[in-house]
Amino acid sequence: MNAPAPPGTSASDIAVDARGLCKCFYQRQRSEKLSEVFANLLRPRVRLVEALRQVDLQVRRGEIVAYAGPNGAGKSTTVKLLCGILAPDAGRVRVLGLDPIADRVRYVGRIGVVFGQRTELWWDHPVAASFEWKRVVWEIPRPRYERLLGRVRELLGLDEFFHSLTRELSLGQRMRADLGLALVHEPEILFLDEPTIGVDVLAKRHILEFIMQLNRERRVTVMLTSHDMDELEQLAGRIALIDRGRIAFDGDFDQLRRRFADRRRLRLQTRAGEAPVLQGAQLLGSEGGWHEYTFDAARTQIAGLLAQASARSEILDVETHRAPLDEVIADIYQQWRQ
Amino acid sequence: MKTLHKYWKTAALTAAGQAGDHPLFLLDYLLRLLRVGVLLGLWRVLLEGRQTGVELTLAQLLTYTLVAEIFRDQLACRTQLQQALWEGSVGNYFLRPMSVFGQFAARLGGEWLFNLAFFSLPLALAAPLLGVEPLPAGGGAALLFPLSLGLAVAVGLALELFFGALVVYLEHNIYNAYRLRDALTALLSGALIPLELLPWDLGPLLAWLPFAATASAPLRIYVGSGEPWPLLLLQAFWAAATWLLALWFWRLNRERLVTHGG
Amino acid sequence: MGVRTCKKLLRLWGVYAYLDFMFMTRDLRFFLHCFFSDAVLNLAAVSGTFLLAERFAGLGGWSQPQVVFLLGYGMLVGGLINTFFGFNVLYISRRLGRGQLDHTLIQPQPLWLSLLTEGFTPISGSAILLPASGLLLWAGATLGLGSAARWWALFVLQALSSAAIALSFSFLWGSLAFWAPRAAEEISSSALRLVYQLKPFPLDGSGPLLMGGLLSLLPVGFVAWYPCRFLLGIALSPWDGAATPLAAFFFALLASWAFTRGKKHYERTGSSRYLSFGHRS
Repeated sequence: MNAPAPPGTSASDIAVDARGLCKCFYQRQRSEKLSEVFANLLRPRVRLVEALRQVDLQVRRGEIVAYAGPNGAGKSTTVKLLCGILAPDAGRVRVLGLDPIADRVRYVGRIGVVFGQRTELWWDHPVAASFEWKRVVWEIPRPRYERLLGRVRELLGLDEFFHSLTRELSLGQRMRADLGLALVHEPEILFLDEPTIGVDVLAKRHILEFIMQLNRERRVTVMLTSHDMDELEQLAGRIALIDRGRIAFDGDFDQLRRRFADRRRLRLQTRAGEAPVLQGAQLLGSEGGWHEYTFDAARTQIAGLLAQASARSEILDVETHRAPLDEVIADIYQQWRQ
Repeated sequence: MKTLHKYWKTAALTAAGQAGDHPLFLLDYLLRLLRVGVLLGLWRVLLEGRQTGVELTLAQLLTYTLVAEIFRDQLACRTQLQQALWEGSVGNYFLRPMSVFGQFAARLGGEWLFNLAFFSLPLALAAPLLGVEPLPAGGGAALLFPLSLGLAVAVGLALELFFGALVVYLEHNIYNAYRLRDALTALLSGALIPLELLPWDLGPLLAWLPFAATASAPLRIYVGSGEPWPLLLLQAFWAAATWLLALWFWRLNRERLVTHGG
Repeated sequence: MGVRTCKKLLRLWGVYAYLDFMFMTRDLRFFLHCFFSDAVLNLAAVSGTFLLAERFAGLGGWSQPQVVFLLGYGMLVGGLINTFFGFNVLYISRRLGRGQLDHTLIQPQPLWLSLLTEGFTPISGSAILLPASGLLLWAGATLGLGSAARWWALFVLQALSSAAIALSFSFLWGSLAFWAPRAAEEISSSALRLVYQLKPFPLDGSGPLLMGGLLSLLPVGFVAWYPCRFLLGIALSPWDGAATPLAAFFFALLASWAFTRGKKHYERTGSSRYLSFGHRS
C-alpha cells in the first residue's frame, strides 16, 4: 500500500521511518440518562478503538506529504506519535534518526509542530512576547533568531499584528503567528495538523505559499493533515490516505484519481431549457442553459455522452474538466463505508 | 411543563457529567471529608473547656461547621459563569430558547444534585461517627431552615450573577476577581467562622450585609443561635434587593457580556 | 545538574519573569488591581484565625504574637509557592486534566525543568510576600526572634521545606489526573484547599490521631505549625528542626514517583480531552 523510498535511498535521506505502528485507545461509553449514572460508574462500558493498525510510513527529506482520511481515521494519532507526545503500542518510529519518545528533548528541538485547534501563543501577551519566549526556551542564538524572525515576519505578514495581544487576533492571524512560531527555530521537519482550519482564503494562500517556499529553499520536510483537498493537492506531491487505522493509499494525486475513480465533469450548453438525460452520467445542476454532469471516465466514454446529448438536444457549447479532488475523495470515503 | 422540562434536562445532563470518566472523583469528596473532620477536631482543641463568650456552645459550633460543609455548594453559589466569561461563551447562552439566568441556575442545580447525593447525604449520616449532632435545634428550626436556605441560594445566585457582570463592566482580570471574591465572602458570610465569634463587635455589623444572608443566617437558624424571624426578614430583603440589582445590571451590560471574549 | 542546565534554568526564569512583568504592566489599573487583590485575598484567608486569636487572646496555648508569626509563616510559604509555581503548575491536575501537558512536551527541555520554571511569576505571584513579611517582622520583633544568622538560615530551610511539602502534596494528588483527566481535574485544588484552610491553626492539644494524621498522610502540620514551633523555640526537642526538611524529602520522592508513573501511563494513552482554559493565560 505504501510508496517506499526508491532503492538506494540512504537512511540519512529518510526523515520519517514508521514501521508497523499500532495504537489502541479505550473509550468509556456512558449513557446520557441520569438513572444510569450509577450503573456506568460501577460497571463502566468501554469501547476499544484501534486508532492505528500496522501503519508503515516513510517520508524522504524535503518531501511534502499530505496525510488525509475521514474523521477518526487516525491522522492526529499518527502526528502525535511522530511528535513524541504518544508512544505506540507496537511498532517503531524514527524521525530524523531519533526515537521521539526516548530522545524527546533533543528531538523536539529539530521539529516544528502546529496543531490547528491549539495555539502555542501566550494568550494575554503580544505576539512578540511569545516569540521572545520561544527564543529563550529553544535556545536560539540571538543573531540567528533576529534573522529568522525577520524572514518569518515578512513572509507571513506578521508585522501588522506583531504587537497585538493574541486574544485579540482573528483566527487567520493567529494561525499565521503560530506557524511563524513553529518555524523560527528552523526545524528540519514540520508537522501541521489541520493548520488552515477556519482560515480565510487569503490567509490560507499566504500560509501555503510560505510552506512551499520553505520547502524549496531549505528542504524542510512537511507532513500535513487537512480536509481541504485542493490545499493538499496544491502543496503536496504525495498523499497518504488513512482509513480506520490503516494506510489505504500512498502515492501521488494522479495515481489516486486513476486508482479509485477518474471523475470528470461535463458541461453542456443547449438551446432547449431542459437538461438531456445521459446514461452513464449524473446531472448535477442546470443554470442559464448550461447543464453540468459528473461521470467516471474509466467506465463511460465522453464520446458516447456527447453522442447521446446531440441526439436529444441541440448542443451549443461543451466544456470538460477533471472533477474536484474533494469529489474524488468523497467517493473514496463512501466506498470505504460500504 | 415543557419549559420546566428544558431546565430539568439541562440540570440532569450536568448532573450526569459530574461523574466524569472514573470513580476517582470520589477522592475529591474524601479530601472534603478529611478537611471537615480536621476542622471539627481543631474547634474541639481550640475551644474545649472554654466559653465561646456568645450564645454559641461548642456543640452548636460543631454542628454549624458540619452543616456548613454539607450545604457548602448552596451556601456559596458558584455557577458556570466564571468559565463562560473566561471562554467568552456567555453569548451562547443568549442563543438558546431559555432564560439566561435560568440556564446558569439549572446547571448549578445539576451539580448540586450529584454532590448532595454523593457527599452531603453520606456526611450527614456519618455525623454521629464524628461526634457531631446533625439534627437542627428543634422543630421550628427544622421548618424554617429550608426557607432560609432557599433565600440564601436566591441571594447567593443574585450576587454571583451581579458580580460576573461587574467584572466584565470593570474589565477586571476574571481569575483574580473571583479569587478575591471567594476569599472575602468566605470570611464575610460566616461559612467558615461564625460571625458571632469575631471580635470588636464585627459579627453584628457583618450580619447586616448580604453576604451573611448567604450562609450565616441559615446556619444560625439551624443550630438555634439566632432569632429566626429577624434573620429571615433580612434575608428576604436582600433576596429582593440583590435580584433587582442583578437583573438591572445585566440588562445594562447585556452587550458587553455577550461580546466579552470576542 | 550541569552548568549548562543551570544557565538554562536562569534564562528560563528570566523569560518567565519578563512575561509576568509584561502581563502585569500592560495597564496601571490592572496592575494595581492584581497586586492589591492578591494581598487582600491572602490577608482575608488568614484573618479568620487572626480574629479568633484576638477574641480568645491566643489560640491553643499560643499567644497572639505567636499566632501572628504562624500566620505570617503560612502566608510566606503560600507566597513562595505562588511565586515559583503559578500558571497552574501548582494546580497540576488542571494541566493534566485539560490535556495541556502536550504543550510542555514539545519543548526541548526535560519536563522537570519546564515545570520548575514555567510557573515563575515574581511580580503577580509575590504580592503576598509583603504582608507576610510584615506579619513576620512584627511578630519576630515582639517575640525577640531573628537575632542570629543561624536562626535565619534555619528559617529559610524550614520555609523552603514547607513549600516543597505543599507542592509535593498537590503533585501527589494531581498525578491522578493522568488516569482520570475529567474526574481528577480539580483534585489539586481540593488538596490545596485542605492545606491552605487548615494550615493557620495551631495543633497543640490535638489527639494523637489528629496530630499524627496531620503530620503524615495529610502533611498540613508541616506547612506552618510544626516548623513554627521549632522556630519559636517551643519544640519538644532540638531535632524537631530536622522533621520538616525530612518530610519534604519524603513527600518530594513520593510525588516524583507518582508523577513519573502517571507520565508513563500518559505516554501510552495520551489525553482525549483538551481545554485551553487557563493555558498560558
